[in-house]
Amino acid sequence: MVNDKNSQKIVDIIQNFARKHSLFVLAYGTGCGAIEIPPTMTSRYDAERFGIRGAATPRQADVLLITGYLTTKTLKRVIRVYEQMQDPKYVIGFGSCTINGGMYWDSYNTIKVLDKYLPVDIYINGCMPRPEAVIEGFIKLQKKIAEGRADGAKQYKENFEWYRANQKKVLGPTTPHIQEYNW
Amino acid sequence: MEEIKNKIYQRLTEAFPEITEHKLDFPYNRLDVKIPKNKVPAILFYLKDEMGFKHLVHITCVDWIEEEKFELIFIVWSPKEKVKVFVRTELDRNNPVMDNIDMIWRQANTYERELREMFGIQFEGLVAPKEFILEDWDDIPPMRRDFDTEAYAKKRFFERPGREDAKDVRQTIAERTGESLPDFAKKYSR
Amino acid sequence: MEREKVTTLYLGPQHPGITGNMMVRLKLKGDTIVGARTEVGYLHRGFEKLQEKRNWLQSFTILCRFCVPEPDPVEEAYALAVELLEGREVPERAKYIRVLVLELARMASYLLWFGGQSGSAGLYTMGQWSVGDRNYILDLFEDITGGRVYHMFIWPGGVRRDLPKGFKDKAMKVMDYFEKRLEEYDTLMFENSIFQKRAQGVGIIDKEKAVEWGVVGPVLRGCGIKSDIRIDDPYEIYGELYEKGVFEVPAFEGGDVWSRALVRRFEIRQSINIIRYVLDNIPDGEFYNKIPNPHKWKIAKGDAYSRVEATRGEVGFFVASDGSQYPRRTHFRGAAYVHAITLLENVLIGANVADVSFIMNSLGTCPPEIER
Repeated sequence: MVNDKNSQKIVDIIQNFARKHSLFVLAYGTGCGAIEIPPTMTSRYDAERFGIRGAATPRQADVLLITGYLTTKTLKRVIRVYEQMQDPKYVIGFGSCTINGGMYWDSYNTIKVLDKYLPVDIYINGCMPRPEAVIEGFIKLQKKIAEGRADGAKQYKENFEWYRANQKKVLGPTTPHIQEYNW
Repeated sequence: MEEIKNKIYQRLTEAFPEITEHKLDFPYNRLDVKIPKNKVPAILFYLKDEMGFKHLVHITCVDWIEEEKFELIFIVWSPKEKVKVFVRTELDRNNPVMDNIDMIWRQANTYERELREMFGIQFEGLVAPKEFILEDWDDIPPMRRDFDTEAYAKKRFFERPGREDAKDVRQTIAERTGESLPDFAKKYSR
Repeated sequence: MEREKVTTLYLGPQHPGITGNMMVRLKLKGDTIVGARTEVGYLHRGFEKLQEKRNWLQSFTILCRFCVPEPDPVEEAYALAVELLEGREVPERAKYIRVLVLELARMASYLLWFGGQSGSAGLYTMGQWSVGDRNYILDLFEDITGGRVYHMFIWPGGVRRDLPKGFKDKAMKVMDYFEKRLEEYDTLMFENSIFQKRAQGVGIIDKEKAVEWGVVGPVLRGCGIKSDIRIDDPYEIYGELYEKGVFEVPAFEGGDVWSRALVRRFEIRQSINIIRYVLDNIPDGEFYNKIPNPHKWKIAKGDAYSRVEATRGEVGFFVASDGSQYPRRTHFRGAAYVHAITLLENVLIGANVADVSFIMNSLGTCPPEIER
């Protein structure tokens, strides 16, 4: 590879173009919002024309779509799933429960702010968001990838101790116990 | 409907003279009986096997903290006569112990697991794993009246601070980006 | 001499074949299941505790998220329970509008169920068709209530708004469209020999013990027992509709996945009949029996229990009051509470591991209503 800035820029442009047009979403509906995903993927609001389709396992997925609220029991599993996904990976926060707790703001079992436990790239607000809003969220993610700013995975690796400390505060001694994160 | 309810109530009082209160004058097909807690398995067996109330509808509990008691309510339904019977009993709030009725209807296992976890009622003879819905719970049973859910949520979870001013959001964003509000938004803004 | 080993398999919360977030711990010998334990609790929000801080009218706004695929029977159950507790009358026009909204919700939920059931057998085309057609019904909902999925429309005392102008023509067009589509669904799914071979003889429930085990709804009608809350314990105007012959309640013998699928397919037809009758004969009048001062509304001490027939079975709401503005105790019971825990653990024994999500879908497991 020629190591000057211009050819690195061209390689980045081609890489980001390929990545943004084939986003595989993990098939995991973590909360209420999963009811508006089947209409987005079928014939009226067809999301497959943008390259978005479902993937079965975390090793084959690019995007983790957190649809709605997360209880502490699910948060443990979602962290394991997120750490099993491979680079490059993105997280989309769906619905107003990921932003500030939504209508469960005084519940004893749901987390209120998702940003402290997992790095979020794009938020889609609404309760529920319409399928058109979902597609607009994905297009904003595509724009962010094309500009090279979608680096949630890199932030997670660099500030790993901070994220782990927040997760331990909520989950107690049974947090997933991978101590280092350098793979 | 009144004759059917009266007949059912007469059969129950002949078999169980320990019934302390009853109420039959609901305008629809419901009748209530109240009985001490050690007779509850016997009356439920009698209702199911001899009187045809084969369908268990619900088991629930109300926390009367001022009178220091839990009130347990069992609701059963008869598909033939189309009548509901509410069997009520009281437990002491400081030491709530009740008999297990798993052998009458097997789905009562699920109801009892939830009451054990949410209120702390001990069912003698219940065989089930310790956790049902909550995981690693370290506080008092959450559905009791003296558990404050908002204080617990503030203590355990991070919160996102609210907005500092009370202006219309569209106006704040318009000022920040240097644009002006469109006309339709001006008409309905505060 | 061969010795068979027993393997443990965790069919965990992230699995593309299971409905909702539930975990099933299976013990396998080869390909056959010999033991099953379910684990729920991934979606628990503590609704009943939240309702203690919201007064009678505020707590109706958060109820629709109890059961995600069909939120309207829950609102209806709460409204019926509060009206029973207080003794409030509902005007006739409001009853007809409530029945219309409930039957539209029933159709939308059955169409979503088609996608799930055939998708777990491998027939993915059916899901694309039926979920795409369900959008027409969600458009009708948007005209009446303003939202596609969560409506907040049925409240104690009546309904919130009147029907818009020109609604009847739009709805009749949608019903004509669906009558043609039902024949195409038959050709694709029910006359498909692979689906028939997979569904017959699988997940059998014994008819003698079904009522004792707490089986309700389409699962009970698939065992041959004709039982439906709309005719056993009638609410709204269903009693009159049944006596006039507008709809009937199908029941099929067999007790396996095939007869349950047939029951659901025939009930869509009955819902279309009810909607046509209601739109032709709706009376004029008020649509809301106004509460004098909603934020200071107090209800006398007592309790009540109401039952509604949802797509999965019997849904019940228990409400207890102590004379103040806040409910003392509300307790919701979904149909999946019994089907998905004790019944599933018994039906899965002896089945093949490839049929687990097929059987779960046909029993109607929906984790949000189990753990609220």
